Amino acid sequence: MKLRTIRYFFKEAFVNLFRNGWMSLASIGAVASALIIFGSFLIISINFDYIAKNVESQVEITAYLEDSVNQLVLNQVEYKIKSIDGVKEVVFVSKEQALEEFKKQVGEELLEGIENPLPHSFRIKVETPQEVAAVAEKIQQIPGVEEVKYGKGVVEKLFKITHWVRLVGFAIMVIFAIISIFIISNTIRITVFARRREINIMKYIGATDWFVRWPFLIEGMLLGFTGSLIAIVLLTVGYNYLYEMVKLNIPIISLLPIEEFYDYSLGLLTIGTFLGAFGSGFSIKKFLRV
Amino acid sequence: MLHMIEMIGVSKVYPGGCIALKDINVKIEKGEFVFLVGPTGAGKSTFLKLIFREELPTRGQIFIGGKNITRLKPKEVPYLRRKLGVVFQDFRLLPQKTVYENVAFAMEVVEASPREIKKRVPKILEMVGLSHKMNARPHELSGGEQQRVALARALVNNPDVVIADEPTGNLDPDTSWEIMELFNEINKNGTTLIVATHAKELVDAMRKRVLQLENGRLVRDEERGVYRGET
Ligand SMILES: Nc1ncnc2c1ncn2[C@@H]1O[C@H](COP(=O)(O)OP(=O)(O)OP(=O)(O)O)[C@@H](O)[C@H]1O
Ligand SMILES: [Mg+2]
Repeated sequence: MKLRTIRYFFKEAFVNLFRNGWMSLASIGAVASALIIFGSFLIISINFDYIAKNVESQVEITAYLEDSVNQLVLNQVEYKIKSIDGVKEVVFVSKEQALEEFKKQVGEELLEGIENPLPHSFRIKVETPQEVAAVAEKIQQIPGVEEVKYGKGVVEKLFKITHWVRLVGFAIMVIFAIISIFIISNTIRITVFARRREINIMKYIGATDWFVRWPFLIEGMLLGFTGSLIAIVLLTVGYNYLYEMVKLNIPIISLLPIEEFYDYSLGLLTIGTFLGAFGSGFSIKKFLRV
Repeated sequence: MLHMIEMIGVSKVYPGGCIALKDINVKIEKGEFVFLVGPTGAGKSTFLKLIFREELPTRGQIFIGGKNITRLKPKEVPYLRRKLGVVFQDFRLLPQKTVYENVAFAMEVVEASPREIKKRVPKILEMVGLSHKMNARPHELSGGEQQRVALARALVNNPDVVIADEPTGNLDPDTSWEIMELFNEINKNGTTLIVATHAKELVDAMRKRVLQLENGRLVRDEERGVYRGET
């Protein structure tokens, strides 16, 4: 392909873009609205995911030891815990440390002169949060361990919720991706249809399919790119606002930082551009069969 | 010897059952000027459409420059069409492009260089007598002028064969004559010409080879023929 031909393609794409003024605006609007809807659900979904991961990672098991344990048993228990599959991290908390922490929580004076009633314990983090129950079960079996706590019930419920949020979020995303493709290919079909005569003439004077197709593909990509750019700007502004609102009013929930959303923006831009090309390629197909 | 165009046992049945052409056998040599005549519905347009592959024959083989075009892959069709210049009855000009752009477009499509385009287009427009209308758009032109633009576009890439379907269909006699003069000139330069027409006077006056179709059959093939063979 010659350079001047590529220049011709871009020139044609731009000329057509402006010549079809209103139609182009309509297409850009369609891409932008589709991607805004799609992006909104994406934001909701990735935030649910983010929050769920956050909560999950905070789930830990505490194993309280029997009062009588000596250093030897202690070492054995630690070793056994560490050798359980799925255990990521084991931290020893001595009686004294536990008391210090407790003092900090309730205040020094209250505990003045009382003998330390707290047992030694281990705090355990697991590889995947779903394994918490199983790991806790195994730790309970180890001799020297008196009691195991991990927020039983609450954890299971949380996993159920995050699982469904992910599933529903994903389904909604797929549905809106399909709707977006549909809107885009339909709007571009209108542009292609308005120029079917031109395409027909080109083919009869000896243009190859790709020569006919390229300007339309470029036009579609430009429409998709512009539309997704608009969508991204609006989504970013909106998300920024939401982020600040949540931070101010519901401090316990921490949303996905805005910087990480930029990565997704790049993805949206690629998707939008690709959808534009795909939509126009799809629409032009039947007009080339002459 | 290779014929420019050769049809062997060609029939065309349109979907719906209309038999447009029946068992056509014909050879056209390089540099010939051929008129295609016959009453309306005889199959003239179909005959031409088969040549530039707007339609495929139902039966039979068509060779152009020795190449069997009924066996072309879709990818090869554009290269066949570049060897042919087609003048359509309805002109098929691009309404939003100027006269110059319409003709230049045919060269852009085959990736000619801008230098060649700048040199060739004005020359062709001068030849068809449209230099002064270069920047007009098709809707600002008369029927005869639009016909000339279509002809210029068909000629601009130096095709081996020019095909014209009723090129004088809605022109007055004087303008029709001018178009025929142009055809004659093109033909003198060695281009093969096939013209489907109802213009009796022109055919009778020009005395070229005449192919007459009737109900899809080739009923007459005459060198230096006239519109009606009977008289
Ligand atoms: N696309 C089509 N589908 C079905 N039938 C067709 C089609 N095109 C042409 N026909 C039929 O084929 C026959 C030949 O048509 P064609 O256009 O070749 O005639 P023609 O000689 O060019 O006539 P005219 O002088 O009126 O232009 C006619 O009966 C016509 O109705
Ligand atoms: Mg006809």
